[in-house]
Amino acid sequence: MDITITQEGPKTLAVLNGRIDTTNADKFQQDIAPLMQGEKPDIEIDCTGMEYTSSQGLRIFLMLQKSVMARQGQLVLKNIRPQVKEVFDITGFSNIIHIE
Amino acid sequence: MVSKSFSTRLSLNILRIVSILFIVALAVVAVSSHVLMSREATRSATNMLEANIAKIETTLTSVEINTQNAAWIAEASQQDEARLFALTQAMVERNPYIVGSAIAFDSSYRADHQFFSPYSFRDTDNVVKSKLLGTEGVASFEEEWYRIPMATGECHWSEPYFDEGGGEMMMSTYSYPLKDKNGKVYAVVTADIALDWLDDLMQSIHPYDHTHATLATAQGHYLVKGKTMDLSKQTIFSTAKFVKDPRAAELAKRMAAGEKGTMRYTHHGKVSFAVFGPLKNRWTMSIVCQYNEVLAQTSQMHMILILVGLFGLLIMFIICYRTIRHLTQPLTEFSVSALNMAKGNFKAQLPEIKTEDEMLRLHDSFAYMQKSINTYISELRTTATANERMESELNIARAIQLGMLPKDFPKQENFELHALLYPAKEVGGDLYDFLYKESDNSLYFAVGDVSGKGVPAALVMAITRAACRFFAGMGMSMQQIAENLNNSVADGNDANMFVTLFAGRIDLTTGKMEFCNAGHNSIIIIPADENEQPYYYKAVPNIAIGLFPDFHYQMETLDLKPGSRLLVYTDGVSEAETKKKELFGDDRLLAVASSPEFRKMASEEMVNTIYTAVKNHANGNEQNDDITIMAIVI
Repeated sequence: MDITITQEGPKTLAVLNGRIDTTNADKFQQDIAPLMQGEKPDIEIDCTGMEYTSSQGLRIFLMLQKSVMARQGQLVLKNIRPQVKEVFDITGFSNIIHIE
Repeated sequence: MVSKSFSTRLSLNILRIVSILFIVALAVVAVSSHVLMSREATRSATNMLEANIAKIETTLTSVEINTQNAAWIAEASQQDEARLFALTQAMVERNPYIVGSAIAFDSSYRADHQFFSPYSFRDTDNVVKSKLLGTEGVASFEEEWYRIPMATGECHWSEPYFDEGGGEMMMSTYSYPLKDKNGKVYAVVTADIALDWLDDLMQSIHPYDHTHATLATAQGHYLVKGKTMDLSKQTIFSTAKFVKDPRAAELAKRMAAGEKGTMRYTHHGKVSFAVFGPLKNRWTMSIVCQYNEVLAQTSQMHMILILVGLFGLLIMFIICYRTIRHLTQPLTEFSVSALNMAKGNFKAQLPEIKTEDEMLRLHDSFAYMQKSINTYISELRTTATANERMESELNIARAIQLGMLPKDFPKQENFELHALLYPAKEVGGDLYDFLYKESDNSLYFAVGDVSGKGVPAALVMAITRAACRFFAGMGMSMQQIAENLNNSVADGNDANMFVTLFAGRIDLTTGKMEFCNAGHNSIIIIPADENEQPYYYKAVPNIAIGLFPDFHYQMETLDLKPGSRLLVYTDGVSEAETKKKELFGDDRLLAVASSPEFRKMASEEMVNTIYTAVKNHANGNEQNDDITIMAIVI
């Protein structure tokens, strides 16, 4: 799992690759720490390379979503693979997090 | 091979370096002493040469002066024959080197034109006798001693010759010419000297055993007899031919030319040097010394140096070895201490160091390391004890958690149910529960998965299960149960925990199932009719429990015919992985559930079959999520 975060004007772009599972969920949480800061964030995460997420990963997406909402910003997940999208759908996360 | 000790290696290294220095020093000493010794030998031989030349010249001069005095007298009294005889006799008697003397007049002296020559000589018995030469014939007057001064008008030393009928020995004659008013030579005064004393003199020159000194005339004739060979018939040119080195011939040439100098050449295989110089009567003398003899002393000195040096090296090696061993002794003891520490004795005795050097620093470092290790170990022990306690507490927690799950599975006429839960390594967050209410002949069941692992997940799981059971007991609908659960979990959920839950209630009288899927995996429904295929029931999606408070959950109903089967499970089943991260997946699960045999199985067998399929798929890969499977047959 790795994540690259870049700033393009007001927009924060993150590219997420690999799997998020029990073994690296903590690392994922540390890696997205920069996204948890700043007022009115506009975050876009490219999930093209994201292969899998466990419920641990979902929990961190939830934390991020709640944090973004508290700061009156927005979070969009893009290009989610179908099998990962299914997990988001089943758990109802698709209703909470904006997925394009 | 036994490896050499540190002290041996260090001592050997020092020995090697000192040996090299010693050899270099020895070589310098050898070369310089050779040079010095050669120079000194040459100088001393030259001195010897000059001293002997002076000695011979003194004698020769005395002979020459005597002769010149006699000539003066002879000139004055040339008509007095008796006086001339007395003069020759006095010459022989007064100078011990003179063995014969003559005054030879030419044929014009006498009226009868006979040669006239009074002659005195020392016979073999050392008695001086006189006689008249010339009357016996002209033979004597053909000799060199007469002929050459007669011809040149100058004094002359003759080549050596053997005197027969007189002294019976090797002689040389000094001739002094008498001249008339017109400068014409009319007589020659001579003095014969024996050469045997030169033999003795030359032989007395032996600074070294094989040194040989030689005296020769300008024409090369030897004036000495020679020690090993008869030189009377040899010249310095002829003997030079015996010596293979061509420089010997050059030496002879330079000697004959009256030069003075030093030459180095090989004399009968021995590297030698010759010092040579002329006498004033044009004789020449040489002294030849062999280098090996000259240098014998230095060789001896070198031998002594080498022996002393070797002895010194030995002593040095012993002292070095002992000193280094003494200095490095603590290292050996340190190694014993280290070994003891390696064996687990962390309080191993360290060697006592009295010197304030690197060894003391090593000791201090060692002691510090020992102290650190001991501190670390005691800390580790404390931590390990704490960890053990925590682990045992976790084990207890897991036992309690698993103990909360119902184990008595109902097998009634109208339904049967079985479930299993295999937690992953840590205390997990899966849960299942069921409750049969006889009052309305209904079966409540739930399968859930708390996000995350460990104690927090276990706590949420325990709360969820207790709440489920409580709400079900109160007869709430599935929607109410989900919403109440959601609000209680979401309230103050700083850790962002959530639970996916499938909860249902089956009215066993009517076969009507009321259920709510809160973000959980779809269940599999296996219809009673064998012509209908098992399928995933895609329920209305609701969000997982605990995400947001006051979420409105939607409930659904489904009519089930008797003989229908339900499979409820957690993602530990569908997401079980191989080592290559290949998921078990929904398709495999449905395939297992679709086999004809599976459709005839009792609930317990169904559960076990699926679990076996999952394990086979994982093929030994470690389980990283709880696995929960529940099967219901109505």
